[in-house]
Amino acid sequence: MTGLGSAVREFLLAFADDEHLIGQQHTEWIGVAPFLEEDLAFSSIAQDELGHAAALYAIVAGDGDPVDDDLRIDDLAFGRAPEDWRSAQLVEITSDDWAHALVRHWLYDAAEQLRWEQVAQSSLTPLAEAAARAEREEQYHRRHADGLLDVLLPVPDSGDRLRTALADLLPLAVGLFDPVAGEAEAVATGVASAPFDSRLDEWTDRVRRRFDVDPARFLPAAPTGRLDRHPDFGPLLVRMREVIDLDPAAIW
Amino acid sequence: MRRYEVFLKKDGRDEFRHAGSLDAPDDELALVLARESYARRAEGDRLWLVNREHVILGDPEFIAPNADKPHRHNDGKAIAEHRRNVREDGS
Repeated sequence: MTGLGSAVREFLLAFADDEHLIGQQHTEWIGVAPFLEEDLAFSSIAQDELGHAAALYAIVAGDGDPVDDDLRIDDLAFGRAPEDWRSAQLVEITSDDWAHALVRHWLYDAAEQLRWEQVAQSSLTPLAEAAARAEREEQYHRRHADGLLDVLLPVPDSGDRLRTALADLLPLAVGLFDPVAGEAEAVATGVASAPFDSRLDEWTDRVRRRFDVDPARFLPAAPTGRLDRHPDFGPLLVRMREVIDLDPAAIW
Repeated sequence: MRRYEVFLKKDGRDEFRHAGSLDAPDDELALVLARESYARRAEGDRLWLVNREHVILGDPEFIAPNADKPHRHNDGKAIAEHRRNVREDGS
């Protein structure tokens, strides 16, 4: 590997940042999920997502070959200014309602499956390996989210809460498919097989089948190119940095 | 919610062992949640889940009377000693 170009680096950072933030968001349900078994399951899923983020940051920090260097990975994961993040707003917003968190979990993971598929045959071998590992875990994540929705959607009160959450989240979820900087270069060099928005129709079909939702709802919020942070991002980053700020040079 | 009993088995010849119980709304979620509650650190690679309603109970009044029958606890020592004596006398 001769090193990542800055464009491909940007492309991978967007993916890493999404994985990092969805993982962080899920961790915030530790201890307060609706019942004990769900608490364990959701925390475990959070941990998997953080693992995916760590793998992607390690590829970026190692300039194509993964490094095992905590400080370099931490610097990417926690050390950047908000304007240097490339996350989608779906994973930046605060979700303090369980229905909201569950719908986001489903929407994100449905897109995540397609996103890993885009790099499953990547010319960047460590990325293809990360994709294979992630998909083994994601099968379980999807089964978890679908299992809960199967039970909860038909219940009148729960179903209403879930559909309200869906209406809030859909415009932001579509933003996951906004073209990210560096994507053209990533496709040209075989790092990814095609632009991610080529999978958008497949994802909307899945959402329709799952929630029986009106197609007009899929109108995206204004595309941000992942350059504008949601107002919830600032406080989220402060919470994420709570420990590292105690001693930024500590080795864990 | 239903209550399920969880049994786990490691790879190899060990038998299934009771790992604990869990609450879940249906069989599918019970399976999904059992994986994280009992097997997330690779404690086993096969799992039985039993809806507690399907467990047939034997209570102590019915089962325990057999605990006071020492003659059913033949550990083979007497027989082994007898056979050893016969073997040695016969040689």
